[in-house]
Amino acid sequence: MLATLKLNLRLFWDGALLSYVALFRWLRPSTYIASKVFGPLVYMLFFVILGSYATGSTDVSFYIVGNAMQMTAWSGIYGITMSITGDRWDGTLPYVFGAPANRLVVFVGRAFIHVIDGYFGVVLGFLYGITLMGLDLSNTHFGALATAILVTTISTSGLGMLLGCLSLMTRNVMFVNNTVFFAMLLFSGANVDISTFPGWMQSISYALPLTRGIQAARLIVQGASFSEVSNLLQVELIYGLVYVVLGYYFFRWFEKQAKRRGTLDAV
Amino acid sequence: MNAIEVQNLRRVFTTNIGRFRRESKEIVAVEDISFSVGEGELFGLLGPNGAGKTTTVKMLTTLLIPSSGMARVGGYDVEKEAKEISPRIGFIFGGERGLYWRLSAIDNLRYFSSLYHVDPDTSKKRIPELLEMVGLEERGKEKVEGFSRGMKQRLHIARALLHDPEILFLDEPTMGLDPVGARDLRRVVRNLQSEKKTILLTTHYMFEADMLCERIAVINKGQIVALDTPEELKKKVNDLSVIEVEVFGVQDNLLESIRKLDFVDSVSIEDRDQRQVLTVQTPIGSEAISDLMPLFESSRVGKVISREPTLEDAYVRLVGGEG
Amino acid sequence: MRNSMFMKYFRAVRTTFEITLRQNFSDAFIIFAVIIQPMIIAILALWMLRERGGDIAIFVIVGSGLTGLWSGLLFISGNSITGERWVGTLEGLVASPTPMPYIVLGKNLANVFQSLISMLASYAIVALLFDLQINVQNPLLFGVSILITVVAFVSFGLLMAALFVINPSFAQFQNGLEFPIYILAGFLFPIALLPGWTTPLSYILAPYWASLALHGSATGASSSSEIAFSWAMMLIFATLYAYISNRLFNVVLRRAKVDATLSMQ
Repeated sequence: MLATLKLNLRLFWDGALLSYVALFRWLRPSTYIASKVFGPLVYMLFFVILGSYATGSTDVSFYIVGNAMQMTAWSGIYGITMSITGDRWDGTLPYVFGAPANRLVVFVGRAFIHVIDGYFGVVLGFLYGITLMGLDLSNTHFGALATAILVTTISTSGLGMLLGCLSLMTRNVMFVNNTVFFAMLLFSGANVDISTFPGWMQSISYALPLTRGIQAARLIVQGASFSEVSNLLQVELIYGLVYVVLGYYFFRWFEKQAKRRGTLDAV
Repeated sequence: MNAIEVQNLRRVFTTNIGRFRRESKEIVAVEDISFSVGEGELFGLLGPNGAGKTTTVKMLTTLLIPSSGMARVGGYDVEKEAKEISPRIGFIFGGERGLYWRLSAIDNLRYFSSLYHVDPDTSKKRIPELLEMVGLEERGKEKVEGFSRGMKQRLHIARALLHDPEILFLDEPTMGLDPVGARDLRRVVRNLQSEKKTILLTTHYMFEADMLCERIAVINKGQIVALDTPEELKKKVNDLSVIEVEVFGVQDNLLESIRKLDFVDSVSIEDRDQRQVLTVQTPIGSEAISDLMPLFESSRVGKVISREPTLEDAYVRLVGGEG
Repeated sequence: MRNSMFMKYFRAVRTTFEITLRQNFSDAFIIFAVIIQPMIIAILALWMLRERGGDIAIFVIVGSGLTGLWSGLLFISGNSITGERWVGTLEGLVASPTPMPYIVLGKNLANVFQSLISMLASYAIVALLFDLQINVQNPLLFGVSILITVVAFVSFGLLMAALFVINPSFAQFQNGLEFPIYILAGFLFPIALLPGWTTPLSYILAPYWASLALHGSATGASSSSEIAFSWAMMLIFATLYAYISNRLFNVVLRRAKVDATLSMQ
């Protein structure tokens, strides 16, 4: 029993690390800084300034919080889908599926590092907000905020995992990635008050992760306590888990299909 | 004036190893080669994979700049006067790449026609002619992505001829082709030669070089080890006889012990289905057989034949057949 | 006359243009970059800027159009050369008698043309979806501004393509050039909102002048002389880019032949 646990833990850890390294194997300090440090900053700056222009005021905490939370989509969507489909490009998918490893462990292990990555991305976003854009966190319950960020990161990663598995079947991974990322940019409410959306758009917003997380984060920054946002966060987490479960089933289904049709190495 | 002139050509590649502490390693692909090709000649560059054939051709087609040495094509220097060379030469590196797979064969040809400044009237006429010459006249409108490797190879040839160049470089043109396709392609090459075009052909098929080329340069590990007509090259092995011994399972030191024999020039081994064939080159002819046989005591031996050397044997001797 | 050098080069450019269009037609990534991304940015900006009132529709469309043009240029034109290297056709192009700048020109023209057409379609959809009124105050000035913007952007694309040949890993900087330009060129908000020290940076960017001219003529916010000044700036930049990229291509291609980076090894 203990041996199995140890084995699974090691599998989990190895898979996680490997997927991160494999993804960034072209990594050099310059690229890392460009994509992890500089990229998110200019992204935030653009939308925050646009928000300021839109409202004609300098109180932009709405936009700062929204875009900081949005940061989780970089690793949650791009990071995870590239990790999962990366196996296919590298030709290692047959080995992944051929191993007798516990599928669930492998699957979740892939996402783990990106959850951590996403978490720090959001924290970085908040730091930028505080240092460069005048975000005021004096009324914030930090424990609640930390939890909100974690929950949102997990739920967004859940969607990422589902997307990753769906992408295993198509050549146009980047197309799917980009479309979902940008759709989330619009529908998550990072930059707009979604209550002003027409009904059909709101339905989309609430079916996606991140939306409730952003709402919760905004409330917390304004001074809400944990109990006041716990409902939102619970639903957010549930959505995330639903996506993970869907993704996992897709993962297994894909494996069966590929083994049956012999398309494991088909790119 | 020679169509192609090469003197002391050398090309070195640097590769970087390691992720963090990058070390560079130098690989000498072409060591110090010199040769010349006359106008209208069909010249062969023969050598095993990695010998430096493609690198040489890339330098002559102005795609790589030599590390040192000189090369002139059509009288122009490959490094300094590349612009003058490009309209006068056609080349194929072949293979799966190098064509626009989303486009049809005709569109590919139309595009390269315009890049090579062939005027529209001429290309309208020439494209169907070329497609017919390479046997693709029925498939002109199909997208290249659906073409077999042989078809792509043939399209490459058509592309190289669009602007009716005086000098052609064909890098392993029959590689990947089935025997019928390869034979057709050789026929095309011979026709081109009869049109007085200068052709430099690279190949690792000995019989192909023998069949087509007027002169052959044998290249190995970046150096030319022989340069002569096929007949003269075969004479280099005239003094040799070749003994082929069929064995089932070769003992470990068998090759070494054969090599040590003073009447053995070289020995190489080749796998053929379930058995292996040892090819021994020796000047003493079939007399060697009786001296060789004791060494095979512990092996199962099939056929033993003694024969005349072919260009292949000359080649093996020249590139140091170690097997 | 029919077969003068000019005609030969012209035909080479025209055929490259045609071939590029054909190839891009089915490329999903390109469809995303020139249709979906601008469309979402348009909807987002539209929603955000609604409260400002006024003729916001045309402002948003021009602004997101510029983001689409710019991103398309970055990712598509920049990658046009590296794409050829991947497919294995770069050597064939380099060895042809047509100089590389002309080939890249044809490709960039195709990409810009395709961007414009696709964006037109996207915005028509957005306008229909959200029932927008679109008024261009100075259609003539606007039309000329578009043409000159195309010229300026296409020449910038030439420069980028040259830089991408010299160093395949330049791609990492692509992402870094997308949003900063949106900000510094004032595509969707005036640069007056930015700190003063960034203004000189904006002035040396051709997209900034394009933004001025296009916004100015569409909303009528700028005078004819201000717009003409922007045109002049864009043309100066275009000439500069074209000149530099021409020289750069010679250097860059020679470098690639020495380093053997014309094909994947």
